[in-house]
Amino acid sequence: MREKMKLKIGIYGLTSCYGCQLRMASVKDILEISNNFEIVCWKMMSSKGEIEQCDIAFVEGSVTTEKDEEEIKMIREKSKIVVAMGSCAIHGGVQGSLLGEDYKKIFKEVYGENSIDYKAKIGEPLKKYIKVDYNLPGCPPEENEVVYYLATFGMGTYPEEKDYPVCAECRRNGYPCLLIEKNEPCLGPIIVAGCNARCPAHNVACIGCRGALQHNVAWFDSLAITFKNRGINKEEIKKRMEIFCKQSEKIEEIIEKVFG
Amino acid sequence: MKIEREIRNDHLARIEGKAGVVVEIGEKINARINVTEGPRFFEVLARNRKYEDVPSICSRICSFCSIPHKLTPIEAIENALSIEVSEQTKEIRNMLYFGNVVESHALHLLLFVLPDYLGFADAFSMAKNYQDLMKKGLLLKNFGAMVQEIIGKREIHPENPVVGGFGKLPEEKEIKKIIYGGKEAVRASIELVDFMVEYEYPSFMNMERNHLSIKPYSGYGVYGDEIVASDGNKFKINEYKNNIEERVIPYSFSKGSYYKNSPFMVGALSRLVNNGSLIDGSAKDLLNKYSNFIRADNCFANNFAQAVEMVYFIEKIVEIAEKIKIKKEEKAKGGKSGHGFAVTEAPRGILIYEVEIEDEIVKYMNVITPTAMFLPMMERDAENMARGMWNNGYRDVELIGKKVEMAIRAYDPCISCSVHAVKK
Ligand code: SF4
Ligand code: SF4
Ligand code: SF4
Repeated sequence: MREKMKLKIGIYGLTSCYGCQLRMASVKDILEISNNFEIVCWKMMSSKGEIEQCDIAFVEGSVTTEKDEEEIKMIREKSKIVVAMGSCAIHGGVQGSLLGEDYKKIFKEVYGENSIDYKAKIGEPLKKYIKVDYNLPGCPPEENEVVYYLATFGMGTYPEEKDYPVCAECRRNGYPCLLIEKNEPCLGPIIVAGCNARCPAHNVACIGCRGALQHNVAWFDSLAITFKNRGINKEEIKKRMEIFCKQSEKIEEIIEKVFG
Repeated sequence: MKIEREIRNDHLARIEGKAGVVVEIGEKINARINVTEGPRFFEVLARNRKYEDVPSICSRICSFCSIPHKLTPIEAIENALSIEVSEQTKEIRNMLYFGNVVESHALHLLLFVLPDYLGFADAFSMAKNYQDLMKKGLLLKNFGAMVQEIIGKREIHPENPVVGGFGKLPEEKEIKKIIYGGKEAVRASIELVDFMVEYEYPSFMNMERNHLSIKPYSGYGVYGDEIVASDGNKFKINEYKNNIEERVIPYSFSKGSYYKNSPFMVGALSRLVNNGSLIDGSAKDLLNKYSNFIRADNCFANNFAQAVEMVYFIEKIVEIAEKIKIKKEEKAKGGKSGHGFAVTEAPRGILIYEVEIEDEIVKYMNVITPTAMFLPMMERDAENMARGMWNNGYRDVELIGKKVEMAIRAYDPCISCSVHAVKK
């Protein structure tokens, strides 16, 4: 049998904490991955490689500088598939929650009257600049999801995004509900699943790091409405939601639905 | 002035975050490190939010040191609100913090530094020829990750540590896993130190420098409330603004810090220079054996210092794990308003947080990160390297550039961290 051509992948970072790349680098089977794919560029990990033609580009981070903008456009041009990796790339990340604030004013607060040689703006998600083919959610993504995405591409198919909330995983695991039992502002009802309800598992209310659900799910309204019944107010939930998903186009819709 | 040569690298590889370097070699040799990572304004992000949410935001400053960026704001908030946590919480936090230092040092040495020393472009190609070394490095990295996973509940950006304590305390069988893994890791870390001494520091990098670190509350720990300098001076954390001056650099989104008007160093080497006498156990034996490798005047000694620290911190994690008997406890509580400070030793050096809280809402926060502190010093060392090579007859710009990168990497700069501080 002829040996299959290895898929070429590029791993890139825009403005971010580098956590999604670190997650990639610390996947237990990373050496196996590096044997099964051809990594054309990974600046964080290697001195060789530039943005090059590749089959799949994994891009972390938000578009925050002029340079980020140039880079993401070039990555799109040279890659068959672009995966937005992590909350920064999908929704702009925590830094994206400043959208709507006066950039000039904040800049002045930090750098005073000085000017810096480069241009920047409030961080924005990739989809504002290019067409994104797939989202790999998380802050950072879970290890098994990274492997799942790579494996599906490797097999010639594609990954499916989850269309149900963290609550589903939480209920399945039988954890006590922090929202119902402790009145804590748990965002589980409106956040995309995949972390196996990591935080409720250790008694901490979900802060929404994986981002808002992109799909409407039938039973989601009924559970989410619990917020209202528990007396947790709209502003509080909105403010918490916005930490990771201010630039999610679904956020207003979801909150309106929940609080009616 | 006529420029004879220019070395330019717009995106330094194998560091965390985005920065470039430009070296001009002419009558004088001049280096600029351009931090091009975009500003993320974390201090603005924290403002007008409930204090409980703020540590989760701060940890996103940096992934390699998400634990310090979680535990230091927590400590500053607790300081502001007079929240007294239990001894047990302190010990568990120590384990978590040390686990992060171990993982961060292992990642830096294994993935970023050793390929340089051994002449490879990356750890993947290095792994083919140095399987044993790679195995050791991964074992250390995985041990640090396991401690963070067990205590923090996630290796990167753990949500389990909260103001007042933890969501969930580690279980006995998990603590046993730490002890078991730790014993194996100690051996691997000692072998790594022996490996690190193979590398010779270029003597033209020698330069007198000030080192800043904390004065630990106990042992060679990472928590304290006083900063000490190698010139003998010391000051309390609430005095930091009178001693560390931040300046805007026009070609960098990161600011640079100055102590007594001069660049300074922080990090593993600075800790060992200032607090080496507090080390005990196997790390102490290694320090005695290899005392001439801790050179306060040479930045390359930082990598050796990281290797020694790993030995110390792994032994300490095991020591705490063997001693601790976890008992159930409530999270500590305190007031609603106040002004607090915290300083800890992140893997790359001292990390300062200041926070003001009014009725549970954060009104002001200021952060100075290690990379923003040592940036001017790192630039000097980039110059030292270029000058040293040039004066020794090297004319190959590419080679000089590579060596300049190595000098920068010796610092383990964390570019993501460096960009955001707000002025008050
Ligand atoms: S999504 Fe989270 S982990 Fe990934 S780069 Fe952004 S802040 Fe870091
Ligand atoms: S609201 Fe939170 S704690 Fe309750 S079921 Fe959903 S995820 Fe679990
Ligand atoms: S429970 Fe929520 S905050 Fe925790 S990991 Fe999952 S999505 Fe993120």
